[in-house]
Amino acid sequence: MRLILIDRTNEIRGNFFPLALGRPLWELRCGMSSLKEKLVAKIRPDDVAYFVPDYMAGYYRTQVVEPVNDITAMSGHDLVVLDPLLKADSLDVSAKGRSEVGLDKQGRLLYARIARGDAGRLRAANIEEFLVSAQSSLPNVVCNLPVWQYTWDLVLGNGEQLKTDFAAAGRSGIDGDVEEPAAVRGSRKNVYVAREARVHPMVTIDAEHGPVYIDEGAQIQPFSRLEGPCYIGTKSILLGAKCREGNSIGPYCRIGGEVEESIIHGYSNKYHDGFLGHAYVGEWVNLGALTTNSDLKNDYSSVSVMLDGRQPIDTGSSKVGSLIGDHTKTSIGTLLNTGSYLGAMTVIMATGKPLPKYIPSFGWFVEGIVTKGFGKGRLYEAAKTAMGRRGCTWSAEAEAMWDAVFEMTAPERNAAVKKGRKTLLK
Amino acid sequence: MATVEERVKAITARKLRVDEVKLEDNFTADLGAESVDSIELVAMFEEEFGIEMDEDAALAVQTVGDAVKFITNVCKEQGVEIEQ
Repeated sequence: MRLILIDRTNEIRGNFFPLALGRPLWELRCGMSSLKEKLVAKIRPDDVAYFVPDYMAGYYRTQVVEPVNDITAMSGHDLVVLDPLLKADSLDVSAKGRSEVGLDKQGRLLYARIARGDAGRLRAANIEEFLVSAQSSLPNVVCNLPVWQYTWDLVLGNGEQLKTDFAAAGRSGIDGDVEEPAAVRGSRKNVYVAREARVHPMVTIDAEHGPVYIDEGAQIQPFSRLEGPCYIGTKSILLGAKCREGNSIGPYCRIGGEVEESIIHGYSNKYHDGFLGHAYVGEWVNLGALTTNSDLKNDYSSVSVMLDGRQPIDTGSSKVGSLIGDHTKTSIGTLLNTGSYLGAMTVIMATGKPLPKYIPSFGWFVEGIVTKGFGKGRLYEAAKTAMGRRGCTWSAEAEAMWDAVFEMTAPERNAAVKKGRKTLLK
Repeated sequence: MATVEERVKAITARKLRVDEVKLEDNFTADLGAESVDSIELVAMFEEEFGIEMDEDAALAVQTVGDAVKFITNVCKEQGVEIEQ
């Protein structure tokens, strides 16, 4: 059976910007792994194929070995087609059974189970036509499967997801090194230190309220405190960090200061002091010393977030920090308001005041306004340098994808730049 | 309407807080502009003249005189009326 993951609906993708600008939705992390890893573990397919927005197909092909946007992947196999935002833990769809299409009450296709013979009879000039054909010719079932709605839902659900993922991993104990003196609070069954991971002396692991998973090759330097539930990714380094509960730190990160209930993708740095709470941070981000975000308003009211630079969305939660896109860099002393949005590839040169809540992708925030700065060429050069320092390569496919993102995000960026320019000559 | 040269000089003087600006002045060496100032100057020129400038080309301009020529050309390309 082949699992088909599809992420082609702009309206849904926009709810996960800026993180979804440079990756398909199933690559978003929550708990100890990505949404894709959870769905694959749940469905247990023989293989997987992907359908992503056209602009990122070339780049995504460099990231995975499976077929990407290849319509021939829809024939010759029994198929399970999934909306990648389905919550794997609540997913109640059997991989076996009659062919059928599962829709929510609004008609959004959440899953399709299609037997090989039925798949061969469907129109398949492209994936959209294939799905329309499946919906019109196969039995439809109205279902009520939970899905992730917005990026902040992943953050707010991260603690519980960490506990679920730790239990599913089924590991505990010390396969790496824990140097004395170290303090472990709570049950040692709630702690796993993977091989080649090193916990330096004077570290506290507090697993009293949730599990702590330190993955292979990670280093926890002295005076760090890790509160469970939390996950520290492969080869990440904590530098005396106060790692509060509910954190997922991706691979190859460098984390210091205070971090609480946040998800950070791989290769991102927050070396220094400063608070990050209820935040979702992309890849290759660098947060300068003392960068701090608010995640709670003084009046405890629910936080709103602007995902398009115009319309605030009420999150319904009083705890929401920042959404920070891939390759964004903040200067020392950056202050982020509650529910801030920093697009992908932004450069923040802080002024000492809290930033506006929305900085568009590729925007350079200078002297209190959004500017075109030194342009995307300089941003690409910085990305190449940052990636080269970690043995990774900036590819032509990555550049083509980010060029497309640059064009897609031009309207909101140009509006912000024009607004900023007006203030300069007043 | 003031000329392009007069307008460029006025904005440069205001932004960089200098009393006198000459055409041969280098923004960095003579007027003390730092990289952040350059970004703001480009934004101010765009607002003043109602034009859009390519960042790489605009930031490659070294002197006030070259800025006058560059902006004059951009204004012509983008159909913006100017006094020369």
